[in-house]
Amino acid sequence: MVNGSAAAADGTPGPVVRVPVSLRVNGAERRIEVDTRTSLLDALRDALGLTGTKKGCDQGQCGACTVHLDGKRVLSCLTLAASADGRDVRTIEGLERDDGAPHPMQEAFARHDALQCGYCTPGQIMSAVALIEEGRAGSDDEVREFMSGNLCRCGAYPHIVDAIRDVATGGRRA
Amino acid sequence: MTPPTTTPTPPPTPARLGEGIDRVDARVKTAGRAAYPTDTAYPGLAHAVLVQSTIAAGRITALDAAAAEAAPGVLAVISHENVPALREAPDRSASLPPPPLRDDRIHHHGQTVAVVVADSFEQATEAARLVRVTYAADAVVADLDHPDAQHDHDPFGTDGGTGDVEKALEAAPVRVEGTYRTAANTNNPMGPFATVAHWEGDHLTVHDCTQGPSRTRADLAATLGVPPEAVRVLAPYLGGGFGAGLRTWGHTVLAAVAARQVGRPVKLVLTRKQMFTSVGHRPDTKQTVRIGATRDGRITALDHRAWQSLSMTDANMEPVSHTSQSSYASPNIATRDVQVRLNVPAPGSMRAPGDAQGNYALECALDELAHELGMDPLELRLRNYADEHPVTGQQWSCNDLRACYEAGAEMFGWERRDPEPRSTRRGRTLVGYGMAGTSFFFYQADCAARVTVGADGGAVVESSGMDIGTGTYTVMTQLGAELLGLPVGRVRMVMGDSSLPAAPSAGGSGLTAAMGTAVHNASRHLLQSFLDLVRDDAESPLRGVALDGVRAEDGRIVRTDDGRGEAYTAMLARHGRDRLSAEGSAEAPGQKGAVVPTGPYAAKFAEVHVDEDLGVIRVARLVTAAHCGRVLNEKTARSQLVGGTVGGIGMALLEETVTEPHTGRIANPTLGDYLVAVNADIPRLGVRFVGGPDPTNPNGTKGCGELGIPGTPAAIANAVFHATGVRVRRLPIRIEDVL
Repeated sequence: MVNGSAAAADGTPGPVVRVPVSLRVNGAERRIEVDTRTSLLDALRDALGLTGTKKGCDQGQCGACTVHLDGKRVLSCLTLAASADGRDVRTIEGLERDDGAPHPMQEAFARHDALQCGYCTPGQIMSAVALIEEGRAGSDDEVREFMSGNLCRCGAYPHIVDAIRDVATGGRRA
Repeated sequence: MTPPTTTPTPPPTPARLGEGIDRVDARVKTAGRAAYPTDTAYPGLAHAVLVQSTIAAGRITALDAAAAEAAPGVLAVISHENVPALREAPDRSASLPPPPLRDDRIHHHGQTVAVVVADSFEQATEAARLVRVTYAADAVVADLDHPDAQHDHDPFGTDGGTGDVEKALEAAPVRVEGTYRTAANTNNPMGPFATVAHWEGDHLTVHDCTQGPSRTRADLAATLGVPPEAVRVLAPYLGGGFGAGLRTWGHTVLAAVAARQVGRPVKLVLTRKQMFTSVGHRPDTKQTVRIGATRDGRITALDHRAWQSLSMTDANMEPVSHTSQSSYASPNIATRDVQVRLNVPAPGSMRAPGDAQGNYALECALDELAHELGMDPLELRLRNYADEHPVTGQQWSCNDLRACYEAGAEMFGWERRDPEPRSTRRGRTLVGYGMAGTSFFFYQADCAARVTVGADGGAVVESSGMDIGTGTYTVMTQLGAELLGLPVGRVRMVMGDSSLPAAPSAGGSGLTAAMGTAVHNASRHLLQSFLDLVRDDAESPLRGVALDGVRAEDGRIVRTDDGRGEAYTAMLARHGRDRLSAEGSAEAPGQKGAVVPTGPYAAKFAEVHVDEDLGVIRVARLVTAAHCGRVLNEKTARSQLVGGTVGGIGMALLEETVTEPHTGRIANPTLGDYLVAVNADIPRLGVRFVGGPDPTNPNGTKGCGELGIPGTPAAIANAVFHATGVRVRRLPIRIEDVL
């Protein structure tokens, strides 16, 4: 390791600094070595091949890259991979049950057609699962408000609300 | 590569056509297993990052790539100084923009001037910042009203009309006239456009964010000067496009160029900021609408003129005023389109191109006329209903707009509307009702498809076209199942691959009609192939039977006369075949006959709430009654309408790409600054389908993908007027407009 910065004051790049990172991803220990500039998003996608997590803006403005870090929803594009060392990461690939059956939220999204192109969908679902765990899915308006960090350009919002409320109410939503 | 593992598996349950089954790709998409172009990985993959101009007009006087080339991991820096020759499109109006890195001239801010290729994404990103570009800047023309801007008149050859509008306007007892403006909007699909290019010898494989793999293949082959057979374009899934994927943009070409130059597969992903400058956008417009009418509300003259921005070097097919030729009965109609050359990034299609802007102006002008006449806006539209094409006199193939008005008004409770503006309030909230009609244009292009039934009795339907989220995988699966008499679970749809039978791009709400017809014809040909197989087969109850004497059901072909028949599997087994395939194609219907094919129709009714003190505008509810012909899947079609309406709400109240007039720079190129509708902006949205199947199409379909957009901004704008008494003639409508 050299001085934390990879670039000198005049803007010329210094040597690439790579650091080992140990993550528990979807229950499995994973060790990787990453550029210090690498986001958790890029580490998941490129180093670990978990491409279910999507890059929509790389600026923390769209929610497509939402994952759970130690049980809380975070934007993986604004999280440096190195800073996640030793922590627990859950991605869309970790939602299915061990027997391969989908998570109730995944089922509800399919049933309510809460997706179209599907690109924002993993982030929507990761937020939706966290939302219920946070106790923030008590009404349609509450869901709308607390899901507003996850953009959907296809415009599936009303069906996303339906899907989340369906799961939150234990399937009582038609 | 990826397609075999990601082709969606249909649900096991049988389903009838039209039934709202879950989309067949819902499972892979909700599991995160759908492979988008940006998810593609190859061993030895290198990464490319674009460098874009920081002026909007002028020349590059020096491009110093030394520091970038010396940076760790950098493999190449490609600019106009060293790019290999790229060929110009023979037809500039087609899908291919001018090639990238063409010369030293700069025509807009954010024009690509170099591409940097490195071992890693981080290295390429850092090195791209080290490319030093020196410019000689010229004066910028970036404002639709700029006096020096060049105007291209009648660029689409669509100007026209009937009668003498000026004379009729002069004679009209009632006249309204308004100038309407719509802001530039940016498509902003959630998936940044990405290209992964891989050369194996002279063969190029491209994973690309495109809405038409066949077209991208042709464009790449033409630009690179290689035969089309040497190029394969794959895109089994696309993270949205909304028209941005209808052209083969420079970054796609450059990814292929870079991969060839460095001798490795290359991945190029646009940044969100580059998505504002590199893949088109909905051009801003200025429109004037003048309407003359009798006092009892008969329109006697309709004049619609539209000016829209265009880039300096490109073309863009975007008729704005044209639909006003076919929307309302009037003996005198004139429409004119003008494109204004500006130092702005190339505009392109975005969700109902042209109609989104043109319908807004027309339908607001109708509302102004209704107010002037003291007539209900819905009654005014019914009084001027176009029972035939107002200009050509052609009969409509299928037009149930009247049923849309009736159903929409009933769903909404339109009769409760107090006609007086600013008359309805709940506490400090002003309540407004507004409506608009939509006659969407008809579009269809040629398409091919192949249908195969295998020894297991299951079918595969193949066509190169795209499901961009519209539900094409699902409805074509359902259609194949119906036509071949199989359960939905026994049919697999394969798309998004240019090596499959050629399909047009997913756009213009035209793919379902085109591909559906091709699948229909392929299925008929396949049934004929089975009949041919057993033509002289003494063991077959179908021996010597003609196609019009059979139907397909339960995995069998059966005679309509006596019900005897046999299974596909039996015929294949007895003749030692492991499969039978047939292709089918569809040509776009002509538009010159006595009957003109019609696009879809809709009526939209909006309720807005405006905070009297703060001016905050909220859409409280919005209902759509739509005539889309036969609806193949009620669930995915509803999602199309709902999703388009969300886009229309954004266009009405939020979305504006802000270009600084003196620099040509886009001031808000992020999803934090360019506002799109979020979940909390969207109320419940009612959708009802009405009307009959369209006889133009063997499946009875019309399009519906873009129908959610036009009509929505006008209904909202008209509701804002009804709520506040303030007529805002500019989109998006903002708080300060109504205070």
